[in-house]
Amino acid sequence: MNKILLIIQREYLSRVKKKSFIIMTLLTPLIIAGFYGLIIYFSIQGVKGSFNKVAVVNQNTSLTEKLVPTKNIGYTYVKESLEQMKADLKTTKYDYILYLPEFDIKSPKGIQLIGSKQAGLSLSNRVSGDIKELIRTQKLKASGISQTELDGLKTEVEIDTKKIGETGKEEDSSAGASTIIGTAAGIFMFMFILLYGIQVMRGVIEEKTSRIIEIMISSVKPFQLMMGKIIGIALVGLTQFILWIVLTASISTLAVKAFVGKDAIAQTSAVAMKAKDGTAISPVVNTPVDSPVLSMQKSLASLDLTKIILVFIFFFIGGYLFYSALYAAIGSAVDSETETQQFMMPVMMPLLVGYALSLSVVTNDPYGPIAFWLSMIPFTSPIAMVVRLPYGVPDWQLALSMLILVLGFIGTVWLASRIYRVGILMYGKKTSLKEMIKWFTYKN
Amino acid sequence: MLIIKNIIKQYANHRALDDVSLQVEKGKIFGLLGPNGAGKTSLIRIITQITGPDSGEVLFNGERLNVDHISKIGYLPEERGLYKKMEIGEQVLYLAKLKGLSTAEATKRIRYWFEKLEMADWWSKKVEDLSKGMQQKVQFVATVLHKPELIILDEPFSGFDPVNADIIKNEILELNREGATFIFSTHRMESVEELCDNIALIHRSKKILDGPVKDIREQYRNNTYWLEYEGDYQLENSKELFEVLHTEHIDGKTKVKIKIRETQNPNQVLSALIPHVSINRLDEVIPTMNDIFIQKVKQS
Repeated sequence: MNKILLIIQREYLSRVKKKSFIIMTLLTPLIIAGFYGLIIYFSIQGVKGSFNKVAVVNQNTSLTEKLVPTKNIGYTYVKESLEQMKADLKTTKYDYILYLPEFDIKSPKGIQLIGSKQAGLSLSNRVSGDIKELIRTQKLKASGISQTELDGLKTEVEIDTKKIGETGKEEDSSAGASTIIGTAAGIFMFMFILLYGIQVMRGVIEEKTSRIIEIMISSVKPFQLMMGKIIGIALVGLTQFILWIVLTASISTLAVKAFVGKDAIAQTSAVAMKAKDGTAISPVVNTPVDSPVLSMQKSLASLDLTKIILVFIFFFIGGYLFYSALYAAIGSAVDSETETQQFMMPVMMPLLVGYALSLSVVTNDPYGPIAFWLSMIPFTSPIAMVVRLPYGVPDWQLALSMLILVLGFIGTVWLASRIYRVGILMYGKKTSLKEMIKWFTYKN
Repeated sequence: MLIIKNIIKQYANHRALDDVSLQVEKGKIFGLLGPNGAGKTSLIRIITQITGPDSGEVLFNGERLNVDHISKIGYLPEERGLYKKMEIGEQVLYLAKLKGLSTAEATKRIRYWFEKLEMADWWSKKVEDLSKGMQQKVQFVATVLHKPELIILDEPFSGFDPVNADIIKNEILELNREGATFIFSTHRMESVEELCDNIALIHRSKKILDGPVKDIREQYRNNTYWLEYEGDYQLENSKELFEVLHTEHIDGKTKVKIKIRETQNPNQVLSALIPHVSINRLDEVIPTMNDIFIQKVKQS
């Protein structure tokens, strides 16, 4: 037992002390926080959008209704002619000129949006939408509907998704947040198992090619060496994961604080500027800018993050042990990394299938039979279960899946150790799968 | 010290050891000889408990081989290596602790050995910065550090330059004087004659010869002599005394390898020749282990 501890210690320290580990551990949270920041930034930008001032040159006598400024576009009706406006465009405060010629409102033609730069798709879509709305109002008014009746037709619709928890209580949930958390956890799990599983394999190959293995196994049992390596590397993974969580959380908190604070200031100043401009801002424009961020944070809070993290760690350890034992067996059977290809496929496939199905089928139907079976079979359960988890998984399923995974890794560790003890002493031979099966039956 | 009884080890399609028995006496240097693939490494792996025999038993100091013996055995494999990225000192410390030494004791002994073998400033070097010979010194230290009673060295001198080979040889002899028993596995016969007290020759999974080196060489004496003389003499005339195996002429001297007939002896050869030539030399050719090795392997 003492020897296993020594091996774990060496495997752990030799990796944690590496420059690449330190850099990866520090850099990744920055990248994650950066992405998080970008998402928030764009969701705010998406709501706010850019603001364009448009001069409307209206020569259409049948259009008595006027375009109402929106939060993205400030329409101002001007008296100047189109030619004059075009000539003065650079010196005026307007970004674009909207030209409404004389046309039959039943088939509007010849409308132009002129600017010193090409109008983007979103702007031209908005303008055409506004004109459609204008013409609709015009037509409805013509048929004798009053403004109050028109206002009464407008309805705002918002959907709150709720789910009935196991306790029968209604809980706030957000399909969006669950999908994001589930998908992120699934991707993370896949990367983690693959990354650290391959590290185990590399470690075994390194010991074999450098021939230290011969010296090692005259002191320790092959099983001790294999388990020491697997556990040592698992602890490296865990260390990295926990550091990532802690660092990402603190960086994100700081970033969000700084960002949201700054944004609030920016928003007020923008409002002030618009007011100075004299552009009319309708009260409807002031929809709360932070609503997507807020609602995302609200639904994040509705998820039990502690449970998710703990279950994630359990399935990471379980899934990692399950696969890394197989990787150790592969490493023991080859002389160099280039020879691992033929064995990698059978081990990679279930992981890849689990990954692909989890991110497609499971996120679409987290309670369906495919999701259920994927989260039970130990080859795929580490990924499928963490993807399902944010949607809510019955406790008995979680417990059963954990139990199967534990039995699964005991099985693969046992199987791998039998191949490993023979494989590590075989040099210079190309090993076939058939031969590995034969090793399995060797007596010690 | 070590008694090996009727060991059989069967791999999938070949028998690596076929009923091999031998004894290694305490305080002796034992040579385990044999061509490549004869089964030497398989036998060593059984002694070091890397694998187990299919049948037969191994006794270490009278006890059946068990886990406690691992710390009493030091093994330097032929295929040996070190962790490339690890510091030398750390590495030897790690290996010593795996053999059951405490950190403090191991550190003390590593310092002693590093000092002794002129590697004191290697502690924080990495393996990739050392030459092959330097690495072997490190491996040698790691093998003997825990003061094993039995030290097994597989081809210990391969890769050493003559100076370092000599240093290591002297260390081996010193450890031997202090009471350590050695098993040498090698096919370099000069070192066998120089160092080994006893040998066993393994060929095609079977032991075909064993015993003290002196006795074996004695046993394989076959009345062959080098004879060197000046002058003219028809060797044909002494056909009934000896058989000529080989002749060469250098600067008027004649050098012949002769095999004296069993009923005769060197005195009779000399008295027959003295009247005709002036004799410079008559040496007995005692077969080297190399000769015996080749002869035995070819025979079987």
